Amino acid sequence: MRYKLRHQTVYTYEEAVNNYQSVLCLKPRDLPSQICNSFDLEIEPLPNKVYTRKDYFGNAIAYFSIHESHKILKVVANSEVEVLPKLLPQISPYTCEEVRQILKTNRPLKIEMFQYQLPTDYINWDDEIKRFAETCLAPNVNFFEGVQLLCAKIFTEFQFKSGSTNVNTPLKTVLKERKGVCQDFSHLAIACLRSLGFAARYVSGYLETLPPLGKVKLQGSDASHAWISVFVPDMGWCEFDPTNNIIPNERHIITAYGRDYADVAPMRGIVFGSGGHKVHVEVDVIPVE
Amino acid sequence: MSLLNSYKNAISSYDEVIDQNGQVKPYWKNLFDTLEAVGFDGLEQRNQEIISKLKENGVTYNVYNSENGNNRAWKLDLIPFLIHENEWKNIEKGIKQRAHLLDLILKDIYGPQELIKNAIIPAELVFDNSGFLLPCFDIKQKMQNQIIIFACDLARGPDGKMWLLDNRVQSPSGSGYALENRTVMAKVFPELNKNIYRKRLSPYFNHLQQTVATLGNISNENPNVVILTPGPGNETYFEHVYLSSYLGYTLVQGSDLLVRDGFVWLKSIEKLERVDVIIKRIDDEWSDPLELKKNSLLGVPGLLQVMRLGNVAVINPPGASVVENYGLLAFMGAACKFLLDEPLILNSVATWWCGQEKELKFVLDNLPKLIIKKANRKQGFKTKYCRLLSTSELDELRKIISENPKDFVAQEEVSLSTTPSFIDGKLEPRLASLRAFMVSDGNDYKVMQGGLTRSSSVKDKFVISNQLGGISKDTWIVSDRPNEYFERVVVRKSQQNQQSNSLTSRNAENLFWVGRLFERTLSLNYFLKIVLNRLNENVNDKGLKQQTYLVVLLKSITHLTQTYPGFADEDDESIFENPENELFKLINDPKKVGSVAYDIQSFLNTANQISEKWNADTRRILNLIEESLLSLKDAHSIHQLNFRLDKLYTRFFGFYGNVFETFPRDNGFYLLEAGKNIERILALVSVLRSAFSFKNDEEVESVLMEAVLENHHLLAQYRHIYKSQYSLVAVLGMVFLEKNLPYTLTYLLNNLGECLSKLPKNNDSNRHTDDEKLVLEASTLVNLIDAEELVKVDEDSQYRSKLDKTLEQVFDLISNVTGSLSNLYFNHSVLQHSFFDSIEKIDSDEI
Repeated sequence: MRYKLRHQTVYTYEEAVNNYQSVLCLKPRDLPSQICNSFDLEIEPLPNKVYTRKDYFGNAIAYFSIHESHKILKVVANSEVEVLPKLLPQISPYTCEEVRQILKTNRPLKIEMFQYQLPTDYINWDDEIKRFAETCLAPNVNFFEGVQLLCAKIFTEFQFKSGSTNVNTPLKTVLKERKGVCQDFSHLAIACLRSLGFAARYVSGYLETLPPLGKVKLQGSDASHAWISVFVPDMGWCEFDPTNNIIPNERHIITAYGRDYADVAPMRGIVFGSGGHKVHVEVDVIPVE
Repeated sequence: MSLLNSYKNAISSYDEVIDQNGQVKPYWKNLFDTLEAVGFDGLEQRNQEIISKLKENGVTYNVYNSENGNNRAWKLDLIPFLIHENEWKNIEKGIKQRAHLLDLILKDIYGPQELIKNAIIPAELVFDNSGFLLPCFDIKQKMQNQIIIFACDLARGPDGKMWLLDNRVQSPSGSGYALENRTVMAKVFPELNKNIYRKRLSPYFNHLQQTVATLGNISNENPNVVILTPGPGNETYFEHVYLSSYLGYTLVQGSDLLVRDGFVWLKSIEKLERVDVIIKRIDDEWSDPLELKKNSLLGVPGLLQVMRLGNVAVINPPGASVVENYGLLAFMGAACKFLLDEPLILNSVATWWCGQEKELKFVLDNLPKLIIKKANRKQGFKTKYCRLLSTSELDELRKIISENPKDFVAQEEVSLSTTPSFIDGKLEPRLASLRAFMVSDGNDYKVMQGGLTRSSSVKDKFVISNQLGGISKDTWIVSDRPNEYFERVVVRKSQQNQQSNSLTSRNAENLFWVGRLFERTLSLNYFLKIVLNRLNENVNDKGLKQQTYLVVLLKSITHLTQTYPGFADEDDESIFENPENELFKLINDPKKVGSVAYDIQSFLNTANQISEKWNADTRRILNLIEESLLSLKDAHSIHQLNFRLDKLYTRFFGFYGNVFETFPRDNGFYLLEAGKNIERILALVSVLRSAFSFKNDEEVESVLMEAVLENHHLLAQYRHIYKSQYSLVAVLGMVFLEKNLPYTLTYLLNNLGECLSKLPKNNDSNRHTDDEKLVLEASTLVNLIDAEELVKVDEDSQYRSKLDKTLEQVFDLISNVTGSLSNLYFNHSVLQHSFFDSIEKIDSDEI
């Protein structure tokens, strides 16, 4: 599938801002299953220069700063992406216990995976989360199927409710209240996996949504999305979408991989000024014939 | 018995004074000879001199969470720590190797990670290391060595060998204290090194300056170097100020710097100045809130990006703290073999990382002999000396370790050597450790010929941390041959070199407020004395109505200090029956906003923010003012207070006199003067309004006029001209208009206008700035008054509307000058927010 992507963020400040420093992580990745054909940024007010680099995980990062007085900041990322169909390789036969042993004993693998097994500021766990995980990932269950079970459990038992959480809502609360958004569900699934010694990472990107039957798709109706990527021996990194209980394929567009949301936040910034601000985000994922 | 023999008797373990053959080392003998000649009384006297010298120099070490303020005087033992240069040469080899090794480890961790891949160090100690900062992986500074400054703590074991206890990498502290120790010792006890040749410390600092110059030269021929401090709250702030003066680098806080167009800039009040080198004294994770700790207000947003571009050098680069992890100490030997293909010259104290099965078992089995630490520093875990723990405490500790073994490190509790220390008038053997300092010249490390020795504050225990009251020592590398000896004298910024230093917006604002708070305290103090004298002349029996003029004067104090309701409470006049209570609080209650004590406190806080601006004499006076503050706080009677206010007044004048005589006439000076003049005008106008806005009986007004004239320092002049006839027209004429008398409104406004005209202008230098216009308007109002008009009274209300309105206008105009100066010069103080925190307002991630 080919897509045109448009991700627009508008900040409106109560008081004029004279110094703004920002880091963006918005460019879709080039991967064996995905090609980013074009990417450009429109920033208003125009910064003198945008510096780009690859971060530790290979994600494309853009840095800029603005020093003219402004009350509105607009950042639009436009890209064209081609997503190739993914063939699911044969499911590896390892049980959860076997996978855990492999991760412990295979040294090169252990070194590579270690950072995806650790807790972070946003992904941490207690016994309750561990018990929740164990209901799906019992030692003799096939690992891949166990992860699918976990995603299905989150999908069926949790309510998707936007605005019910924010980035600082602890996972404990998400588990207790049984509601959240894709970011919470991904963090929860990763916490479950890591609590049992597996390696999992956070994927940020987009999902093409379909309009209700017979209706035209509205502009800005899409959103950024998040799901997870789990290391399965013999298969490599496998992606799962706990929010929708599907295995990501051609409709999932990948922007970045990280240990958690903090590594790959689409836009972060430091603003110098008093007064509050509002943010409005619009995302369009438009299929190209 | 000789001093040396009695000391020998006190020794209970291996001591520095004794060599391997049980003989007293010859250089220690020489030192003891000198001590003997001086005698105990002499030593005690020198000890007192050291204490007062350190105090005078303002040498402090801030202690967190301490009850009595957090400035602790630096402790310096008059007995130095001696090491012979032959031995030192070997130690040098060992610590240089260690510096190289850590530098290589650092580059490997943020690079190919061969050490992990080859199982030399465990992955956990890198990836689960709070000092491993992912955004730093693509930062490489242009010199070969990434670690530029390095310090390590050493101690001697019972076999006479030195052990390495700890590495300091992210912002090594102590070199400034070492230098100050030497300077003070050289002043107080110059004959102590009689017959002993010791090496100089200054070459280390020369090397540092050369390296900094080389690093800066990459981008600029005259590199602009700053020392980035977290501010006066930091434990080693004294050292930041000290090194800034000694090395001639500008001391800045994060908010003084700005990233723009790929460079770091210093916000001075005239312009932005490009910064080439930052000597970083804040911890790594705080250095860039954009990419690291997002709520840090200490760092510079965007700093890492500028480093990636190679447009600024940072000493040491953020990320270096990864090698400070205690767990890594267990793998130094293997890493040394792997990276340098040689054995460690200097051993670390035996260390076991509990993340390995065998090691964990060993630690749990041998716990009572060990010291337990967390691998990552700063996790709020107090080092446990297991020998001191009870059985149940040991069991508890075993449980904690077993739950998360990877977090813990065990170290052997080595028995260390003792060294003579002068404690409570006696010579006692105390455990000690030595911090050594190194600076890279790019490829190799130069070692300071000396260091910072700290000895234990408690007998037989190894408690050397400054936080816990350890005592420092001057450290001598002793040579058999004389070396050309001289210490570079530390000169505080003088007039000549200050001009070359930039005035940051933050310092500009602080100087302005020093001026204001100084004068606020001074004017209040002066006016209080006027009122107190009137009050004392008219001691009233309790319950009797106060004289009207006293009521007016007391009310004036409330208006002046804005401590409402106070004496201005219309509904409650009972306060006048016993005004001392309120006056007491107005003078010595530090919690009462507007009181003398509160003003002094604010003044001192502001002055301490810019301690690098004050010379030694000014700092001494600041110390005296602090003493005055304490003496006000514990005064018991108005009489005592009155007396102490006099003393305070003199000290404040001493402060100002010294500043006025020595401060360079630069922007900072004119801002301080402007602040002083603004505050003086406001104070005088406030009292004038309170005294004369409403007409009183002639007799009352006479007393008020006398008081007001005194407040303007004009009483003598007035009497000279008008004798004892008090006419308000004449008084106002003088107070408003007399051009050559320094406390008149016209004189002060002229003065203020002149200060403001000296400050830099952004636009057309021939035009008035907003602040100048305000002063001009006020000055015109004052100069055009007609005193006859001003004194006119409304018969019904007894209100002098013309006088009151004019004074109100002048007051408002001058009050607004501050805001206008802020807009022009102090713009730095805007708040900084992270967008990441407020992500909940973003309607994204909604699928």
